[in-house]
Parts: sequence; structure tokens; C-alpha cells
Amino acid sequence: MSKSNKPKTLEEKLDLTKITTDHNYAHIEINPEICKAKCTTYDCVYGCPADCYKFIEGEEAEGPVVFDYVACLECGTCRLVCPHGSVDWKYPKGGFGVEFKHS
Amino acid sequence: MSEEFDFDVAIVGAGPAGISAALTLAKAGIETVVLERGQYSGAKNVSGAALYGPILNELIPNYWEDENSFERYLTTKKITLLSESKSVTIDADLRNFNQVPYNGVTVIRPKFDRWLADKAEEAGAMILPDTMVEDLVWKDKQIIGVKSGEEVLKAKLVIIAEGANSILVEKAKLAKKPKPRHFALGMKETYKLPKKKMEERFHLDDKEGLSNEILGYSKGIPGGGFYYTNQDTVSFGLILNMGVLTKKKLKAPEVFEEFKEHSYIKKLLKDAEMIEYSAHIIPEGGFKHMPKLYGNGVLVVGDAAGMVLNAGLYIEGINFALESGKIAGEAAIEILQTNNYTKKQTRLYKKKLKESFAYKDLKTFKRASHFLENKMMFTYVPDLLTGLFEKLLRNNGYPRKRIVTSAIGYVFKKGKLFGLLKLLIGAVRSL
Repeated sequence: MSKSNKPKTLEEKLDLTKITTDHNYAHIEINPEICKAKCTTYDCVYGCPADCYKFIEGEEAEGPVVFDYVACLECGTCRLVCPHGSVDWKYPKGGFGVEFKHS
Repeated sequence: MSEEFDFDVAIVGAGPAGISAALTLAKAGIETVVLERGQYSGAKNVSGAALYGPILNELIPNYWEDENSFERYLTTKKITLLSESKSVTIDADLRNFNQVPYNGVTVIRPKFDRWLADKAEEAGAMILPDTMVEDLVWKDKQIIGVKSGEEVLKAKLVIIAEGANSILVEKAKLAKKPKPRHFALGMKETYKLPKKKMEERFHLDDKEGLSNEILGYSKGIPGGGFYYTNQDTVSFGLILNMGVLTKKKLKAPEVFEEFKEHSYIKKLLKDAEMIEYSAHIIPEGGFKHMPKLYGNGVLVVGDAAGMVLNAGLYIEGINFALESGKIAGEAAIEILQTNNYTKKQTRLYKKKLKESFAYKDLKTFKRASHFLENKMMFTYVPDLLTGLFEKLLRNNGYPRKRIVTSAIGYVFKKGKLFGLLKLLIGAVRSL
């Protein structure tokens, strides 16, 4: 317990959460064409609590975004904040995804 | 209608709202099925506050006799204002809240929701976990069931208890996609803290608990931190208005980490080991931004119905979920007797809901959500008050002035008087 002084990184935090990934089904998909044509605000990158949305050219370089659903906590923030409807958001199939135990 | 139905009522979502409805229906002998996408009830759920004892007691009489039902009953409530290096806390120690059915209790949702679901099952409801409802089944303009994968399940009434991120409410044409400014993102961490240590830290006796709301130091984003004690874990989190968060171009997890850097928070979490990270969204639009609560063949309950109150001192969700679920169950029993499941009959739910404390609270505080969008509440006010205390308490060798004189002088010096006045008027009008 003495080691708890050093804050955990987001990756370490996400490792604590049990997630059963459905490798055959991405429950969220973004449409890069819509993003490219319309997006100037990148609300998904700022809103996501699990850093599933990242700028391709590094953390500070606002621009094209890549998305990976694997660490998704299924909160739905990206669906609501995207003003362009580029986020096609569905829940994971039954039994897949996050499984909280202490929340 | 000559439709063949598999069940009288199909409920989507086995959280508190859905289970409360199921329990009410099953007790009355209604054939009820609950479809839950999680591995079990509560597996997808995150909560940030307390449950009202009296409400739970109404649903499950003498719930406290079962050790598994709750974590701790709340006897201490703290409200803290944070600024850069300071904090001011109001500490309400209400030991007389230690009487059953208890004023408020803390729960761990994966545990509590499962416990509640067991009660509904015992009463005769069928609960199907691992079942994702993707869509509704329509006949003309009437909802007559739900779809999960290839399977269709027909029911006279569908109750949507899908939670805050309700896609089915939109599919049922009861609401459009909500605006981010009417929603908040809650991030939460659960920490292991040995029972003895926790009780020493917070001056709690066995089973007594504390909750702490924390305002300020959130980069000026409306919202706030929360902290409460479970049996041998503590739940800590930060709630941020989604619209403002993204407009400020601040990353949610980073705002959370920086919030934790405040010495007040560090002390709360000292020597505790993080065991889980979770996140969830919270409807905060209040009374004015609730979806339509009923339609042909359908009722909406809990978070899906936007039944969450954020009025600063009170942040309610689960209690409204339990209450709206129960009322939907009661209404459904009556609706089923009429053999007519159209809007004409389902509106009975809203009529009954209007009489409930949940709906009335939402109405009473209908201006609160707009008021709490005022950013001054989250920056200027905590700065002002913590600064004022510092000024009043600092010993600098000069003779002291009267407290009132010092206070007025300080407030004048900090400026923004007009804004503060507007804020006070807003508070009086909305809270």
C-alpha cells in the first residue's frame, strides 16, 4: 500500500476494470469521411473518459482522430458530444463489454 | 387486438428502475420479463450517491435485516469548497440518522442491483441477463415488443428502463438525441480502505457512513466531486458538464487526475488502493428536458426518463428510479386490465407519477439545472469563500477589524459584485 503515492496512468486504471472484448463486433464505429469533412472541434477526444479517441499525430496535434473500442466504458459520451452524427453508437452484445464489480 | 403475446410486460434494463417495476408487477401476478444486457444486474451500473432508506423500505420492507442490501447508513454529510490551495468544509454530523429505516444508505451497485433483482425473481419475474435489446417491435403505431438479435419477444407493454444513454427512448420517438449541455460525465474510482482505518479517518462507528460533495477546482467546469464510504471501500468521483468540458477542450481523464492533486482530495485517498475505474453519464437537464414518458404500448422510467435531480445539495437518481419504476408497475397493472395499451391508457402512468415526490421534486427545482450552469458557482464562489476565511483567520500582527467589516471589504475588493448579486438572485429563485 505504500506504493500508492505515484498516481496510476489511465492505462493502469483501465486495467483494473474487467472488460470482455467482443473481437467480432465493434459496438461503436466512427465515419472518418464525416469527421474529415465536418469536424473542427474533436469533442470525442476531449469527452471520452477512457481515451478511446486519439489524435493520429500525437496528443497535442488536433486533427484526424483514430478510434479503438476495446477500452470503452460504455458511457455514451461520444454519442452525445459529436455534433455531426459521425459516431454510430450501439451497446455491445449481451454479456460483452464492461463488467463493474465495485462501482 | 388478436396479437399473441409472450409476456404481459417486457422491461428493458435490470437497474433499480426496471427491477422496481418488475417487482411491483410480479407481486401482482403479472407475467413479467426483464431483459438485461449485462452479465448480471448492476454489471453496467455506476452510482454516485445514496439511496433513501424510506423509499427502499417501501419496496423491500425491513431491507436492513439483510446484511447484503447496503454498505453503510449515512450519518455524516460534508460539503466542501475547493480553491487553489484552500478548502472550506461544512460538516453535518447527524447521528440521529442512525435509526431504521435510515435516512440514507450507501450501496455498491453490482451488489445492490443483483440483490434487488433476486427479490424480483423470488416474486416471480423472469430476468434474462446477457440479453441486449437492440430495437422495438412495432405494429402500425403501436409498440408490441422488443428485439434481441434474431429473437422477437412480444409484450402488451414495454417499459424502457435502459438508463441514461437511452437509445430506445429515441427509437420509440419519445425524445430526440439530447444536447451535451444537458448531460454530465461522471468518472469514478473505487478504493480499498480497511474498515478500521476508514472508521478512524472519518470518526465513524461500525456501519455508519459519510458522504462528501466537493465544489470547485474543476477547471471552471460545472459539476463537482463526490466521495462516500462503503463497508471497506470508498467511492470517489468527479462529475463534469459535457458541453462545457468539450468546449474548453480539456480531456476528461486529465481534469479528473488534476482534481485529485488537490491536497484535500489527497488526504481523503491517502493509503487507499484503487481497485476499479468506471464512468457513466448523468442526465442533468432536469424537469424541462425529460422525454415524453409514455406512448402507445410503452412507458419510460428512471434515468431513461431523465429523472435525475441536480440541485446542488441534492443529487438524486436511484431514488427517483425506484419510485418511477414502482409507479410504472402500478400503472401497468391498471392499464393491462383495460386491454387497451395505447397512449389513451398509458398516460395513466404520468398522471400517477405527477403525484409522486420524485416528479414534484423535479418540478420544484426546475430552474436549478439552469442555475447550476452558472460557471461562477464553480470558480468564483469557492475562491471567494475560501479566500474570505483565510483573510478572517490570518494572524498578521495588525489589529483586527470587525468580522462583518472585513468580510464586506473583501467581497468588494474581489469585484464581480453584479455577477454575485445575479447569482444570489438565481439561487433564491431556483433552490
